[in-house]
Amino acid sequence: MAEFIRFDRITKFYGPLCVVENLDLGIAKGEFVSLLGPSGSGKTTLLMMLAGFEQPTSGNILLDGTAINAVPTHKRDMGVVFQSYALFPHMSVGENVAFPLQMRGLGKAEIAERVARALDMVQLSALAERRPSQLSGGQQQRVALSRALVFEPRVVLMDEPLGALDKQLREQMQLDIRDLHRRLGLTIVFVTHDQSEALTMSDRVAVFNKGKIEQIGTPRQVYDEPATRFVAEFIGETNLVEGVVEAVEGAEANVRLTSGAQIVSAVSGTVAPGQTVYLSIRPERVDLTEIRGDARNCLETEVTDSVYQGDHLRVQLQNAAHPLIAKLGRRSREFPPGTKVYAAFSAGDCRVIVP
Amino acid sequence: MSAGLSRTGRSLILLAPLLVFLIGFFVWPLFSMMSQSVSDTAVLRLLPRSAEVLPGWDRKSRPTMPMQTALMEDLKAVDDDQALGDMVRRLNSARSGFRTLMSKTTSALGDPANPPADLVSIDKRWEKPEFWLAIADALSPLTDRNLLAAVDLGRNAAGDIEHLPADQSVNRVILVRTFWIAALVTFACACIGFPYAMIAASLHGWKRDLMLAAVLLPLWTSLLVRTAAWFILLQERGLINDLLQTLGLIDGPLPLIFNRTGVIIAMTHVLLPFMVLPIYSVLITIPKNLMPAAASLGAHPLRAFMRVLLPLSFRGVASGSLLVFISAIGYYITPALIGGPGDQMISSIIAFYATGSANWGMAGALGVVLLVATLLLYSVYARLSAEEPGRR
Amino acid sequence: MPMKLTKFTFASLTILFLVAPLIAILPLAFTSSVILTYPIPSWSLRWFEELFFADAWRRAIVNSLIIGTGTTLLATVLGTAASLGLRNRLIFFRGTIRTLFLLPMVVPAVVLGVGMQVLLAGFGLTNSYAGVIIAHTVVAVPFVVVSVTGALAGIDERVELAAQSLGASPTAVFRRVTLPLAMPGVASGAVLAFATSLDEVVLTLFVAGPNQRTLARQMFSSIRENISPAIAAAAFLFIAATIIIGLVVVLSRSMLAKRR
Ligand SMILES: Nc1ncnc2c1ncn2[C@@H]1O[C@H](COP(=O)(O)OP(=O)(O)OP(=O)(O)O)[C@@H](O)[C@H]1O
Ligand SMILES: [Mg+2]
Repeated sequence: MAEFIRFDRITKFYGPLCVVENLDLGIAKGEFVSLLGPSGSGKTTLLMMLAGFEQPTSGNILLDGTAINAVPTHKRDMGVVFQSYALFPHMSVGENVAFPLQMRGLGKAEIAERVARALDMVQLSALAERRPSQLSGGQQQRVALSRALVFEPRVVLMDEPLGALDKQLREQMQLDIRDLHRRLGLTIVFVTHDQSEALTMSDRVAVFNKGKIEQIGTPRQVYDEPATRFVAEFIGETNLVEGVVEAVEGAEANVRLTSGAQIVSAVSGTVAPGQTVYLSIRPERVDLTEIRGDARNCLETEVTDSVYQGDHLRVQLQNAAHPLIAKLGRRSREFPPGTKVYAAFSAGDCRVIVP
Repeated sequence: MSAGLSRTGRSLILLAPLLVFLIGFFVWPLFSMMSQSVSDTAVLRLLPRSAEVLPGWDRKSRPTMPMQTALMEDLKAVDDDQALGDMVRRLNSARSGFRTLMSKTTSALGDPANPPADLVSIDKRWEKPEFWLAIADALSPLTDRNLLAAVDLGRNAAGDIEHLPADQSVNRVILVRTFWIAALVTFACACIGFPYAMIAASLHGWKRDLMLAAVLLPLWTSLLVRTAAWFILLQERGLINDLLQTLGLIDGPLPLIFNRTGVIIAMTHVLLPFMVLPIYSVLITIPKNLMPAAASLGAHPLRAFMRVLLPLSFRGVASGSLLVFISAIGYYITPALIGGPGDQMISSIIAFYATGSANWGMAGALGVVLLVATLLLYSVYARLSAEEPGRR
Repeated sequence: MPMKLTKFTFASLTILFLVAPLIAILPLAFTSSVILTYPIPSWSLRWFEELFFADAWRRAIVNSLIIGTGTTLLATVLGTAASLGLRNRLIFFRGTIRTLFLLPMVVPAVVLGVGMQVLLAGFGLTNSYAGVIIAHTVVAVPFVVVSVTGALAGIDERVELAAQSLGASPTAVFRRVTLPLAMPGVASGAVLAFATSLDEVVLTLFVAGPNQRTLARQMFSSIRENISPAIAAAAFLFIAATIIIGLVVVLSRSMLAKRR
């Protein structure tokens, strides 16, 4: 894929505080990339630099191959959607959406037509005369969205646009935005700290930590093949177990846990025998059986607690040296505390992480 | 970084006009007023030649010939009688006898028939170093005389600071009076304003709106209109006296105007909003259920009030009182129109010195006293309102 | 309940104290007598005639309008620009500058008057309209700064960023977003500046000559020297104007609240 946006060794300091550190990131045309990370990890800052509200301390931002560091915001042609919507309180919904077109000096008739189309796209045509204050949160959000899209920007930037909405509305909007992305072929950079939002919506997810990208990949990659301990722990829930590599065969490694048990695990990076590593095992990939089955990995454990959580059963286990958690489908039978069970999982459900 | 720089540049360009304007027409006037209070060029301006010669004198020995010649030249060159009068007044206050000495000397110098050889030949007193000392001191362009006089102090012949004699000690009386009237007004405002604000804060709907409107209407009304209104009400045949007489409460009219009572009543009316509003704004932030909560914990209502509401509203009362006091000590119009001669405050005296007797030095010195007092109180007020949690 | 009665009595008496003087003066504007006392012998408009046609009063009104307009323009422009500049947090001594802008509200008018007279005399500006307008602007500008700064503080900065990202140049952002949103503050600042100038006596005493006698100055000396019901007529106009402006402000506030 041709690269459309390129962050080239971007560093940003606020005074002595390094907020973004030597960051490289490429985004393709038509791609939906989420920036995911904990609070204060520099996501907004990166977005603000892309929009031109902030200047990088060093490094270049390239758009379509040309550096845009010196281009002021209003000439960058990027639609920005803020968490707080930032609608103009003194203009009606229609005037809000017309604003970017007026700034581009379009004719009255064309503006009217495109505003109507943009409002229609988010099903707000009936409310064009209202003031933003007379709209619900979701409606305001849709106005902000259509305002950012109406001028067909080269890139759409969204900073936690759904953060202020309730769960149901948020899920509806997630689908709507995804749908728009597909229909219009938009390039979208989307900031969120909600991992499920990032996983459901994006083509690729960039996981941020302390101003750096820990991992970038498809939702499946960052979830199933976490590259670092941070990613494994930040995205979804995981069991982290310490061990030493004994042998490596192709994409699999033999790891001896501190309890002495032997585990065969998938490896994505390079590891050498003798190295201390972590194993990440997703709780929902763990199966519980009373007899030792034929799974590649099988740990002897005892149930310490089990909690029914509606859509799944959450079982806490104690292996000789490690606590483990398993999430079982709701059809699973109950495991009362004290039950001796085997925790079984395949080599592919387990990842070696170099600390 | 260039965007940030140009933004700062733009902000500075926006700020500059007002900054320059206020430095030119606000800070500078205040400084020139201050410099008026310590500057004294009445003598220096008239005696430029003496000013060159006198610093070489040892301040003890008999006056030398060049000194006498220089002074004679200077005096001959004076053509401004008013300036000469100012200078003589100034010298006479430092050394009595100068008035007669000078008039004798100037008339002798003005006589073209027999020009005097030196000053001593005109009058023997010119031999004495004391008179020359007075001139030498008066030549200095800086003086603390006015500032000292503003608080009824002066320098004696030896140059030590001491109290002025009682017949010249008017300023201290006026300063004390100013602070006393301001304190009385502040007290009256607090006594009325605090309960009023409390009642307003405890009400809802139109009742609260009415109570606030009753405060805001006078606040928005012209000060002169309010003063005129009180003037009319308080007159000897004004509404209040008429009413009291009709009711048979009094036989003759009460003296309400041109005295202290009238000043206090009118100033309290004018300044009451400044007390009510800060207290009210603090009170409405205090949770409504605090008093019932205290009561539910077993506190007697009065005790609950003393222990809960009063400390919480202290900040409001303190800012209100400071605001009223600061405004009161600078008041001019109300005492000038409603008060008698015995109720004039420091502002009136400043205005008198400035416009009445053109004594800019004294006007400036008293102005400095008032300015310093105001700024000190204001800095306390600013600190108090800056600490206010959750505001600004 | 005696407590309730006490409260009611106290509140009523204080309201009476606050408002009654202003109301008591109103009927006297329509007296036919030459003295300012009740009872009013008969009604007449002669004092309004005096106000508008007697030379001294008419000139005073015209002067007040000239000086008030000049002050409003100057104070609003200077104050609004400065408030916009003060928004930038990168400015050095921002707090000090802001305090300086508000200080004329605090410094006693007489003190300022003395200094102003000395200074303006140096520029040859005493006894001129320019001098009076300058003096009034000094004391009126804090009101503009307070009111515009307040309005600007209420603007969500992200709204301006959004406008930029939608293609608005800095000038366009200012014209289409910042200024309209700050307009209520600018307007009330202008009203306050005009009111301050209209009511200013002390500085006027110091810097104005006989040709710049303002309405307030004329009222001051007429109370002092020969009080006549013309004062009541002037007061009537003032109070009526205050109430009308108050109503306009309240109405525009509630209209604005609807808009937001
Ligand atoms: N204008 C600023 N001046 C100084 N420090 C700032 C500024 N803006 C952000 N920071 C700091 O930079 C760091 C990163 O901030 P940023 O807003 O990019 O985080 P974020 O990843 O968007 O977090 P969140 O998920 O909470 O929005 C934070 O530590 C923040 O305090
Ligand atoms: Mg953020």
